[in-house]
Amino acid sequence: MAVSPVPDRPPRNWWLIGGVAAFLLAMTGWSAEGIGFSLIELMCNIGGGGRLLAESWPPDFAFLPRLAEPFMETLNIAIVGTVIGGILSLPVAVLAARNLTLGRIVWFADRNFMNVLRTLPDLFWAMLFATAVGFGPVAGALALSVFTIAVISKLWSESLESIDMGLPEAVRAAGGTWLEMLKFGAVPQAMQHYVSYALYAFELNVRASMVLGLVGAGGIGMILETQRANFEYERVAMIILVVLVAVLIIEEISEAIRRRLT
Amino acid sequence: MTEPRGRIRFSGAGVTYPNGTVGMKDLDLEIEPGEFVVIVGSSGAGKSTLLRAINGLNRLTSGTVEVDGQAVAQREGRELRALRKRVGMIFQDFRLVKRLSVINNVLIGRLAHVPVWRALLGLWPQHDRDVALRALERVGIPEKAWVRASALSGGQQQRVGIARALAQEPAIILADEPVASLDPVTTHQIMRDLVRINRELGITTLVNLHFLDLAREYGQRIIGLRHGELVYDGSARTVTDEDFRDIYGRDFTEDDLLDEEAL
Amino acid sequence: MSTLQPGLQRRIGGATWATFIIAALFVWSMWAIGFSPERLGKLPAQMAEVLGFFWPVNMAYGWDRVLPAIIESIQIAWIGTIIAAVLSLPLALFGARTLFPKLARGVKLISATARAFPEILLAIYFVPIVGLGAFAGALAIGISSIGMLTKLGAEVVDSIDYGPVEAVEAAGGSRVLALRYAVLPQVLPEIIAHWLFRFELNIRASAVLGVVGAGGVGGVLLNTLRYRHFDKAAAVLVLTILIVLVIDLVSGEIRRRIIRG
Repeated sequence: MAVSPVPDRPPRNWWLIGGVAAFLLAMTGWSAEGIGFSLIELMCNIGGGGRLLAESWPPDFAFLPRLAEPFMETLNIAIVGTVIGGILSLPVAVLAARNLTLGRIVWFADRNFMNVLRTLPDLFWAMLFATAVGFGPVAGALALSVFTIAVISKLWSESLESIDMGLPEAVRAAGGTWLEMLKFGAVPQAMQHYVSYALYAFELNVRASMVLGLVGAGGIGMILETQRANFEYERVAMIILVVLVAVLIIEEISEAIRRRLT
Repeated sequence: MTEPRGRIRFSGAGVTYPNGTVGMKDLDLEIEPGEFVVIVGSSGAGKSTLLRAINGLNRLTSGTVEVDGQAVAQREGRELRALRKRVGMIFQDFRLVKRLSVINNVLIGRLAHVPVWRALLGLWPQHDRDVALRALERVGIPEKAWVRASALSGGQQQRVGIARALAQEPAIILADEPVASLDPVTTHQIMRDLVRINRELGITTLVNLHFLDLAREYGQRIIGLRHGELVYDGSARTVTDEDFRDIYGRDFTEDDLLDEEAL
Repeated sequence: MSTLQPGLQRRIGGATWATFIIAALFVWSMWAIGFSPERLGKLPAQMAEVLGFFWPVNMAYGWDRVLPAIIESIQIAWIGTIIAAVLSLPLALFGARTLFPKLARGVKLISATARAFPEILLAIYFVPIVGLGAFAGALAIGISSIGMLTKLGAEVVDSIDYGPVEAVEAAGGSRVLALRYAVLPQVLPEIIAHWLFRFELNIRASAVLGVVGAGGVGGVLLNTLRYRHFDKAAAVLVLTILIVLVIDLVSGEIRRRIIRG
């Protein structure tokens, strides 16, 4: 049996490997220096950290009742933000879906609009809204609305792009308008995803609204800031504990709902 | 003169799964070095269980199985790995690492032969690389050495699987339904390869098949299993349709034959 | 009356109930935070007013003060992501139910705890420990990211084809070698893509940390807004948006290439 000769090993792309490795090392070294990374510093200050943790323990459970109202406010902010953002993200997502949008220009504009919304962190929006409408939970809710639009529309537009276009086309062929096509043909297919993303956004919003108070946008974060500034670490620990437990519970509920849907 | 390797012996071997199903019942079987054995039986008859008991992937719940006089260890560890070094396995779904090159897949067969640090860093000694390349040559696709495994056809992938087993320089090769996922032409090629390897290298070869015509065509010795029990042990030349019906417990249909015309 | 199948009818009934509950919660929350229709009405005017202040953009300030701060945020995100990536890789392997059924439970717990902390809360703790500044931020981001990366990594490992793992073991390879030859080649591209996406998210997180003094551009924004230097604040926003967009684009492209292989 004639056997073809074994070929030589194809040359490895040393330029690519070397380049990537060099970039990673350089980036890490430069960054480490830029931020003042120092293992020695860390070791020396572990003692200080230990003291801090000791001061935070035990958490001040007596402080708990005073947290009830801010905590409610935190939830309120998250709810408002998710609902407003959820509603507004519907058109934004639809227009960002290549298969459903109203023309290339609209799609392009909406796509970029969505990306810009995604670039700024939620706390930035919070600061901006606080400046515009004053400090307090309304600013927080508005900030979360924007954040929610960014989260849901990105995820949901991708879902919309992967639906079966057969039904929407049928609606169009039967003489339906663009809106009717959406309502009867497209949206129902992706509704399950929408709910899943909305729940996810709510989870993120609950977390985010905990800290919005740090910039004066309402919720439990405001108390956190005041206590921290006063070095009341036991109370800070209590607040953090509440935050943790709440986040975990909401995650569980969200998981349960999502499981019931599928 | 070293004694020929690859002797397998089952003594009263049994496998009962935790949920109660019996995979193997009271098996007494002796296979000489260098034999080419085909194992047939309907689905769930215990063909895979038998094969996998030889390299320890299935644990026995009673009796013993020995390879070259040594009992197959029933626990993970160095002893079992030393045994597996000498037993190559070929799978129905090929089980290649798709993202790796063909040669790297074959080198997996050398893992038990090199120090761990070398294997971890991929610093294979020249000798092992040669063994791998020769294994590829033996299955006829040396030119694919540096190609990504996922780019190969089904038949070629199975050849790589065979090369991987060969690279182990094994005493025994276990082929678990090696051709079930292949088209008829490739099936015959692979079966011919297995027969040739057994003949040229003297490696004890056990092949699970569910195509009866293939069993008759390529087997020397045929073992029939039914509900985990040995119900037939004879030569491929003298096996009859009646025997097959006994093994399967029913009339065979065209699903049991590769080549429908043979029915 | 209704010709729908019982299951479907229950579904629709459920949806109406859910909408009703959500609407109720919404109305209550709006009232609770003082978001009255009156307030809603004032909104556009207030937004327009503030928007007006943002022009012209003070780009001089942008280059002087903002750019270094953004660079610091990027560095914080980088170090934090690297720390998390390196530590989460072994954890992700141990956290895979299919490979290490006994260890995986414990790892899942650790990662869930790490995930629950918003970075900024961690930063609050780290700042007093290692002092104000970027180092604290990087540590906070690192620890918080470990949780998410471990969870995602373990999910990737759980989803691989287990066949090649058995093939390696059948050939006499140990568990470690199976990880190196059968698991890693299957999971590494996807895991690296997760790292990159995490880096994108961490840049936003690190930008925010400046607010508690942990370095980065957040502090700059806070100050400019506090002193109502809107032209400077505009510079912060413009530069942040531009740079994050670019990084997202590059990172996204790299991620696509890696997944394709």
